[in-house]
Amino acid sequence: MTIPVSAADWIVINTELILVGTAMIVLLLDAFNRRISDRISPWITLVGVVGGLVSLGFLWGQEYTGFAGMLVIDSFSVLVKMAILFGTGLAVLLSVDYLRREELAQGEYYGLLLLSTVGMLLLTSSANLIMIFLSLEMLSIALYVLTGYARMRPRSQEAGMKYFLLGSFSAAILVYGVALIYGALGTVDLAGVAEALTAPGILSNPVLLAGAGLVLVGLGFKVAAVPFQMWTPDVYEGAPSPVTAFMSVSTKAAAFAALTRVLVFAFSDLSGVWMAVIWAIAALTMIFGNLVAIAQNNIKRMLAYSSIAHAGYILVAVASANQLGIQSIPFYLIAYTFMNIGAWAVVTVITRKGEEGVGLSDYTGLFWRNPLLAVSMGLFMFSLAGIPPTAGFTAKIYLFMAAVNANLIGLLIVAVVTTIISAYFYLRVTVIMFMHRPSEVSAVHVPIAAYVAIIIAVVATLWLFLFPNSTQAFTEAVWRMGL
Amino acid sequence: MPEIVIFLLIKLVMTIVIFALWMTMVPFMIWLERKVIADIQIRIGPNRVGPFGLLQPIADALKLIMKEDITPAKADKLIYPIAPALLMVPALLAIAVIPIGGMVTIGERSFTLQIMGEYRGPNGFFVPELDAGILLSLALSSLGVYGVVLAGWSSANKYSLLGGMRSSAQMLSYELPLGVALVGPLLLASSLRLNEVVNAQSNFGIWFIIPQFVGFIIFLMSGTAEVNRAPFDLPEAEQELIGGYHTEYSSFRFAMFFMAEYLNMVTISALAVTFFLGGYRLFTDIVWLQPIWFALKLMLFLYLFVWIRGTWPRVRYDQLMALGWKVSLPLALVNLAITAIVLAYVPKRAVLVLTITSIVLITIAYYGSSYNIRRSTDMTARSGYARRHLPESEETRI
Amino acid sequence: MEITGYNVAFIAIAAMTVTSAIFVVTLPNILRSALFLMFTFIGVAGLYVLANAEILAAMQLLIYVGAITVLILFAIVLTQQLMGARITQTSRNIVLGGVAAIAVFAFIATTFVSHFSKGSDMIAAQPAVPTSDPLLMIAKMLIQPYVLPFELASFILLVAMVGAIVIAKEDKD
Repeated sequence: MTIPVSAADWIVINTELILVGTAMIVLLLDAFNRRISDRISPWITLVGVVGGLVSLGFLWGQEYTGFAGMLVIDSFSVLVKMAILFGTGLAVLLSVDYLRREELAQGEYYGLLLLSTVGMLLLTSSANLIMIFLSLEMLSIALYVLTGYARMRPRSQEAGMKYFLLGSFSAAILVYGVALIYGALGTVDLAGVAEALTAPGILSNPVLLAGAGLVLVGLGFKVAAVPFQMWTPDVYEGAPSPVTAFMSVSTKAAAFAALTRVLVFAFSDLSGVWMAVIWAIAALTMIFGNLVAIAQNNIKRMLAYSSIAHAGYILVAVASANQLGIQSIPFYLIAYTFMNIGAWAVVTVITRKGEEGVGLSDYTGLFWRNPLLAVSMGLFMFSLAGIPPTAGFTAKIYLFMAAVNANLIGLLIVAVVTTIISAYFYLRVTVIMFMHRPSEVSAVHVPIAAYVAIIIAVVATLWLFLFPNSTQAFTEAVWRMGL
Repeated sequence: MPEIVIFLLIKLVMTIVIFALWMTMVPFMIWLERKVIADIQIRIGPNRVGPFGLLQPIADALKLIMKEDITPAKADKLIYPIAPALLMVPALLAIAVIPIGGMVTIGERSFTLQIMGEYRGPNGFFVPELDAGILLSLALSSLGVYGVVLAGWSSANKYSLLGGMRSSAQMLSYELPLGVALVGPLLLASSLRLNEVVNAQSNFGIWFIIPQFVGFIIFLMSGTAEVNRAPFDLPEAEQELIGGYHTEYSSFRFAMFFMAEYLNMVTISALAVTFFLGGYRLFTDIVWLQPIWFALKLMLFLYLFVWIRGTWPRVRYDQLMALGWKVSLPLALVNLAITAIVLAYVPKRAVLVLTITSIVLITIAYYGSSYNIRRSTDMTARSGYARRHLPESEETRI
Repeated sequence: MEITGYNVAFIAIAAMTVTSAIFVVTLPNILRSALFLMFTFIGVAGLYVLANAEILAAMQLLIYVGAITVLILFAIVLTQQLMGARITQTSRNIVLGGVAAIAVFAFIATTFVSHFSKGSDMIAAQPAVPTSDPLLMIAKMLIQPYVLPFELASFILLVAMVGAIVIAKEDKD
């Protein structure tokens, strides 16, 4: 009897195994002793996430292929996985007190969060369309439930339902695309796809083009790119804030990793076709996201549109499809993880029970109520707008450089103009916090765990500005993988 | 005459004969059931119509068919009439994959006594046995749920609806252990073809009931639940639900429900015979005796069904669900895992090892499950379910 | 098209599948829609049989007909307001939606028809001719190259189950 799993296979999935194991512990603990589970499951989850990060440290700079080429570990996937795990870890810190405040059950929450993370990690290193579909489903199903986790709040229910329906459609579209690609090329392996595309005359095959287009739609839905973004504001607004924080960064990171792998690595020979499409989507996404965000008075909706806009920026890097572009994607994702989760952390803390107090007016004079919180929020807003001294600035510079190198001047102009537009609504929050005195000064209670999360995010946002090289050596290695 | 026509003719004749035999099982079963139950309850049972009351079921059927066919005013006019057929058709079709005899050779043609079985003609004409035989059989048996749900719903009667829901939930729940219990024998036979399962048992020299005793028990239990027979006949719990999903039905449509129930029982028994009692094989390989062996083994099971009905009290609904999900399914999975591991690592002594593990497992399961069910049903009784759904009794109020 | 047993069977089954599918999306009674969905799935299983994919057909019956549609029926029957309610299956956007649906269908249909009629090799994936027991082949594929997707699928089911319980469980008193 032979065991079909080799040593390399175990190495490739070791991070996922750690998290799956943690998820099982959390779920079983919850099944057997609810009282203990309520108290310690967030900390078990954190230990698992840190364990996953450590295991990623061991994979740093190494390359593995496992399960007959279904999963790859390379610098790109390791970096994106780090972004995902940072997102998960910070979301856990936010959730501890949030769940207590909203009187929600703890155990299943962390189990689902971890399993969703596992789906994201697998999506990041998937090199096979079947794996991409399955891991996308895994992360999505867990997220549908987490979105509707606050069952007693109709908004949350509605968000969960909307996300579920639209997500199912997009998954169906994706799998239809996979089927068409398989029909056209006879393979679902990304390396096999890249190889099959070198055959003469295959590039004009309409079955292939239709398949690639449908896959693009499916992934575009997950990254919330225009015109597949309509679910985003409602879902981000309705979902529990820590869940939104988690899914706005980690899902985006994982889906962008898959999108990059599919487009840049597998369909690179088809770039003549998808380049124009991505160009248009990126431009539309940046313009739409930023313009609509201006009109928002609800901070959650504003951040949702901001998240759409940022998807557009990352798409610029995808469209560049050059060394700098590919390197800048993980950097942007990591920077975005910290600054966006930071912003959502502040939102979570300011929000009162039942997701009340999400208007911009609730931030009036935050500086006088809690200066540290206000300064952090200001920093995150600066970073999201791409103003120094923050990580967002460095990330945008990388991006713009990639666009210049790829000669995407038109797209670059759109990106710069929309960045300037975005400064308006990001800075408006800052102005409200610092320039307007509140009518009554009531202190904001900030739980310790959330404080820790905010401080980590602040430090990381500054750190990535001051020492972008700390990840640069690593991102250089990204380029070496199989291109 | 081209070979394909002869092939189709032979299959047609075989189909007609087998279906006819199967249908005659129904009145016979009814008679058997009434007689055996009467015996258990120290009565005489039907004894006026024909010798030993043998013609009683026919008289009953005539009476039933001649009654008025009533459709309730609010019933769904499309679904109400076809629901019994939806239950009856899959019950009939499921027999197509069951072999009732081995290879018959007539001249240069040979075929198995199985509707979807193997066929060899002259000049290399060859039709193999259906690959996914047992899958098809399970799939068809799962179609029966439609008839039950739709009958319950379309009657526009709350007792029918509740009965239909109960019974379909029960059928869905027990489908899983039923299927998983069969995987053990399938692994031993390493084929999904029922004929191969029968042959494997003669090759091993032992009926699979011995090494797969756990699977057999689970199959028997789930099979009983699957066909809604006592002690799992909750859908027809008269004191709670009048007659369950067929409360509103009368005349021939009611008869169809009745027939479907008995047909399903015969099919489950036939599957049990095929998988656990060596199928049509016994002592000798004389072909013309094989259907008789099969029939005898079938009788054994049918008698067992009646015996169980006559002696066991009906279980409560939460006990039923606990038994299905908390005992049968885990046990079936454990049995499957053990079988797979044993076959992978000690294929030479598989039968011996499996027999021993079966005995151990069934012992553990017996004590474990009685504890598990008692505990879980106690918990149900204490939980909100009981408080909201059960009327407050005198004791609890004090 | 010449009249062979195969073609007759194909047209009959395809007609049943398509007709039932049309009923699914047009009938005002949602339970009847579900019933016709069952017939659609049975028709698809029949098409699989015609394509020599018996195991797939049995799986189709077992999963889509025996489980999924039954669950849909359950959901309908348990939703009291739907009992006897008449729903319209069209919305205000029927024209737009219809145009979109027809456009997508036309695109896919013309793509396939034009390339099949040319006899080109646009479809690279040929149905594998089962050399040995097809079931054995499926089993080997599942446990060797596809072991990870297979396991992942089971985790997806676990997530779905946990999720369903989270959504449906009773609240603490």
